[in-house]
Amino acid sequence: MTTTRPLCILIAAMGGEGGGVLTGWIVDAAERAGYPVQSTSIPGVAQRTGATTYYIEIWPEKTTQRPVMCLNPMPGQVDVMIASEFVEAGRAIANGYVSPDRTLLIASTHRIFAVAEKSAMADGRYDVTKLFRAAKDHARQTVLFDMDQAAKDAGSILNAVLLGALAGSGALPLPAQAFEDGIRAEGKAVESNLAGFRFGLSHGEGELAVRAAQVAALPPAAAVPSLADRIARLPPAVQKFAAEGIKRLIDYQDEAYARLYLERLDTVVKLGDEALANETARHLALRMSFEDVIRVAQLKLKPERFSAIEREQRVRPDQPYTVAEFLKPGVEEIASLLPPALAQRVIALCDRRGWTEKLHFGMTVQSNRIGGFLKLRTLAGLRGWRPRSFRYAEEQQRIEDWLELIRRAAALDAAFAREIVDCARLIKGYGDTFKRGAGNFERIRARIILPVLEGRLAPAQASDALVQARTAALADPDGQSLGNMLGDFEASLRPTLPHAAE
Amino acid sequence: MERSFAKEIESLRLGDGDTFRGEGILAVTKALLQSGVSYVGGYQGAPVSHLIDVLVQAQDILDDLGIHLETCTNEASAAAMLGASIHYPARGCVTWKAIVGTNVASDALSNLASAGVTGGALIVVGEDYGEGASVIQERSHAYAMKSSMWLLDPRPDLPVITKTVQDAFELSEASNTPVMLELRIRACHVTGEFAAKTNQHAKVSRNSRLPGPSAFNYDRLAHPPATFMQEKLKLEQRMPAARKFILERGLNETMPGDLSEIGILVQGGLYNALNRALMNLGLADAFGNSRVPVLVLNVTYPLVPEQLNQFCAGKRAVLMVEEGSPDYIEQALCTALRRADINTRVHGKDMLPAAGEYTIEVLTRGLLAFVKAEQPQIDIAAADAVFNAALDNRKTAQALIGTNLPLRPPTFCTGCPERPVFTAIKLVEREIGKVHVAADIGCHALATFAPFSLGHSILGYGMSLASAAGVGPLMNTRSLAIMGDGGFWHNGVLSGVASSMFNRGDGVLIVMKNGYTSATGVQYIPSSAGNRVDGMSSGSDIETTLKALGVKWVRTLRSYGLKDMRASLKEALTTTTKGLKVILAEGECQLARQRRLRTDEAKALKSGERVVRTRFGIDDAVCTGDHSCIRLSGCPSLTIKPNPDALRTDPVASVNSGCVGCGHCGEVAHAAVLCPSFYKTEIVHNPGWWDRLNDRLHRAVIGWLGGRTAQAAQPAAGE
Repeated sequence: MTTTRPLCILIAAMGGEGGGVLTGWIVDAAERAGYPVQSTSIPGVAQRTGATTYYIEIWPEKTTQRPVMCLNPMPGQVDVMIASEFVEAGRAIANGYVSPDRTLLIASTHRIFAVAEKSAMADGRYDVTKLFRAAKDHARQTVLFDMDQAAKDAGSILNAVLLGALAGSGALPLPAQAFEDGIRAEGKAVESNLAGFRFGLSHGEGELAVRAAQVAALPPAAAVPSLADRIARLPPAVQKFAAEGIKRLIDYQDEAYARLYLERLDTVVKLGDEALANETARHLALRMSFEDVIRVAQLKLKPERFSAIEREQRVRPDQPYTVAEFLKPGVEEIASLLPPALAQRVIALCDRRGWTEKLHFGMTVQSNRIGGFLKLRTLAGLRGWRPRSFRYAEEQQRIEDWLELIRRAAALDAAFAREIVDCARLIKGYGDTFKRGAGNFERIRARIILPVLEGRLAPAQASDALVQARTAALADPDGQSLGNMLGDFEASLRPTLPHAAE
Repeated sequence: MERSFAKEIESLRLGDGDTFRGEGILAVTKALLQSGVSYVGGYQGAPVSHLIDVLVQAQDILDDLGIHLETCTNEASAAAMLGASIHYPARGCVTWKAIVGTNVASDALSNLASAGVTGGALIVVGEDYGEGASVIQERSHAYAMKSSMWLLDPRPDLPVITKTVQDAFELSEASNTPVMLELRIRACHVTGEFAAKTNQHAKVSRNSRLPGPSAFNYDRLAHPPATFMQEKLKLEQRMPAARKFILERGLNETMPGDLSEIGILVQGGLYNALNRALMNLGLADAFGNSRVPVLVLNVTYPLVPEQLNQFCAGKRAVLMVEEGSPDYIEQALCTALRRADINTRVHGKDMLPAAGEYTIEVLTRGLLAFVKAEQPQIDIAAADAVFNAALDNRKTAQALIGTNLPLRPPTFCTGCPERPVFTAIKLVEREIGKVHVAADIGCHALATFAPFSLGHSILGYGMSLASAAGVGPLMNTRSLAIMGDGGFWHNGVLSGVASSMFNRGDGVLIVMKNGYTSATGVQYIPSSAGNRVDGMSSGSDIETTLKALGVKWVRTLRSYGLKDMRASLKEALTTTTKGLKVILAEGECQLARQRRLRTDEAKALKSGERVVRTRFGIDDAVCTGDHSCIRLSGCPSLTIKPNPDALRTDPVASVNSGCVGCGHCGEVAHAAVLCPSFYKTEIVHNPGWWDRLNDRLHRAVIGWLGGRTAQAAQPAAGE
């Protein structure tokens, strides 16, 4: 009885990615080299972007007698695990198909986000750092790099890079030539596929520096001469965000507005908690540059925006193109540009007539065509008027209130104050999204923050509650989770309330 | 069709001395041609779609052999087609996805099996069971038993599979009984090779037709009193004949082994996995040399008692490896041994799981238990340790990675015309509250996954409207049934629409009119613009059909027109007008459309024609990272990326290069009043003089107005 076992290769991919093509190439190379080989797959509905796998067995000896080869992988018996995306690699590891004594893991570290990650109301991305750890711990050897980027650089496709990485790893008794011949024989996009293959090949042996899904590095704060000294006086930790904030607010309104930002920030800096000041610097700038119709028009006309579009959409210099914007401000968003007294009356009327939800001004504007440009520029031109608008007044008041909460909280408990700062992330967006966020913040303010400031609740308890409340507020658009969370929280306090009420 | 089989078709022409290389299901197709089949039919569905697909593209081969091909509108019509083999010496084969297809076909199958056949009748069922399966988990075995049809489950090895196909026709003719050939998902897609034979011309075919009908013979009718006689025939003549054939031809294989005290009986389809499990215990090698005697049942119904008894006699115990439940074979084995008073212990479901796919891991665990119990003298400690080490490795990995690894169920393709309809449903539910949604089989069933999570029930292909018949009348709000045009023609038109009209139903039906059965690989249907026979439309139009059935309220809408779709849907769900209300959501399957467009566009670009390419994008600076757009779309090309803003942390939405410019993003942004960050670019390739002039004019004027919107002159632009 021979003790030789077949080489087992498992490929994890997503439907529609062409994992079948990659499988075909490997099978073809094995056949060319004269090794018995078998592959199988489970497409089904998974062909539609769902996670799927392909399985290959290669008999490592040239023989005329065909061995009995299998149709599904066995944990602990996979020699090469190939994953076209990093979470799929993680899935393979979690399913036991990557083992320290045997498995070479070849995976691209780029991410294709799953619906659950994409549809979260804030940041639902899975944290891949533990996958790097898992790969190191559980694979005999790893070849991990961003093969998606590599493919783009090589003007090729991901599968070609994966194939190259496999060939280069030397895990199979197959010469690189056998793979190349296969690609040529297939005769589809031969040159670009070979380019990708060779790129992967060259990186197959040595592992590249891993490129995780990192958040873009903060750009250096552009010097704002007139306010440079003011920034310099801030604690170092705060300066970066502050400078960024100033830049943004001068662009958003004017230098006076930027100074107002610094004055507001100072009142928090004074409290002496750098972490608190730093986060405030960030959120305050965002809150003060609240999105209104004027701001949108302004952003839509920025020259750098058009260069970005041309880059992303691969517009060649000689190509005419148009950019159509989908704008649909609601009656409230328009009315809130009026002076407070007038605006309030209009909005009240709209509410009475039930127009607020129904009345929207939908328009498709071509921002790089004369007509559309003029429309947007007129709106953007209202910047000077903004300080007289109702929305402006409303926002400044909201911001002052928020800062006041922070300052009062800081006097009681720094951690609690920081949580209040962070609650600002709930307030973002336009129309309904903005209303929902502001509403959620209001509920949290009334039912967790104020009770603490009025001494009816211990800051320690409240800090955790705020974290939970924020998570709950971002769990579902209907505010269901937040409602439940606040209810449960208050219920958990009830015994202590009567005493607190005195 | 989704896939071109040009290469595969060539391999269907191979003859004596050639070696066929390819996929299991295509090997079956080749085997049919080698068996002199007269007619082939079926209904598409994974994992057997390719059988029909490849023949559809091999018309000239069929013409040469005179084979008649029928792409049936459902499995019932495919099964009924086998009626041709009742009277005439014509070999026929039909195929479909099991268990669901067999369910639909069972009425015709019962009648066929009762009447019996003259020409070989073969049914290739793709057993959609285990990982990757898309239907309820049941066994075809019960159908074989209840109708006394024979069930083959060959080893997943191309030479065996193809030989079995040819044996099947002879078995069918030798016992006047239709035969089912069962192939599991992975076996259908397994690649391998076998020695090809030259294709056979059938005795009866389009090229050598019958002079006329056979003489009237009441005994061939599945009609009383003939049916009583036929029941006896099944048991007293056909089954014994089948058993005789199985023994004489050695369809089941006995693999010797020196551990004669024990033995294993296994369904042919599981043999490879069993052998690997034996290897894991050090009881076999990779070439199938086993120390444990194995009886491979390539025929799982009928079993041959003599053969079972002979294999088990003198053994202290055997292990029955039978996937799925109920354990029909194990029960039959026990009965056989009891009748013969053979006291060999029978293990099976006591050591192997009652439900689920029998993977190598599952079988290894079962074998360890079996050997421990029945051959304790064999030292399997090492094997046991290795096995458990692998499982421990998995445990630690799971502990490290955690349970929150994002799942990745299938979703609608980029630009799918069905997505906007579900966005419309979500938007309407915001206005009028939740509605009962009766889902159906087809791509649209993907709406049961996030971000739509729509659908209360799935009762089978084309059954949605019928499944809502009892719901609507019991609810204050109208119920909504979703059906594809595939499901409509499969049977929804009768079991759903006609029945609803007949009973004065008051529900709402949305028919996704994308022109094909897309989930099964984009095959033509009666209402397709084309037809495999002559390329012309078949002339069966859904709207006309609905009108003919008396449906008054019918709206045909562009599925991408979210505004109108939303309005019509709201009206349908709230109007005081009684009766069935049908919305036809028109939009060609994007898979099919892109395949066509990509080639056309490439041609046009090459030849210097003016081409306008539409893409969508999102302004990072304007997007605030709330992602409502994604919650209303779920398009694969609408994704997220790290926020480039120095002050913001939540990722921003982003449209990747996969965008096909279907326009849904923009429609959603408008209809749902989302943020203003969406934009649409229209890039003119090979611009004409007017495009250039017009563009320069606009740039100049805007520049003069102080704007700098046109950067195209900068080298920074382009790649």
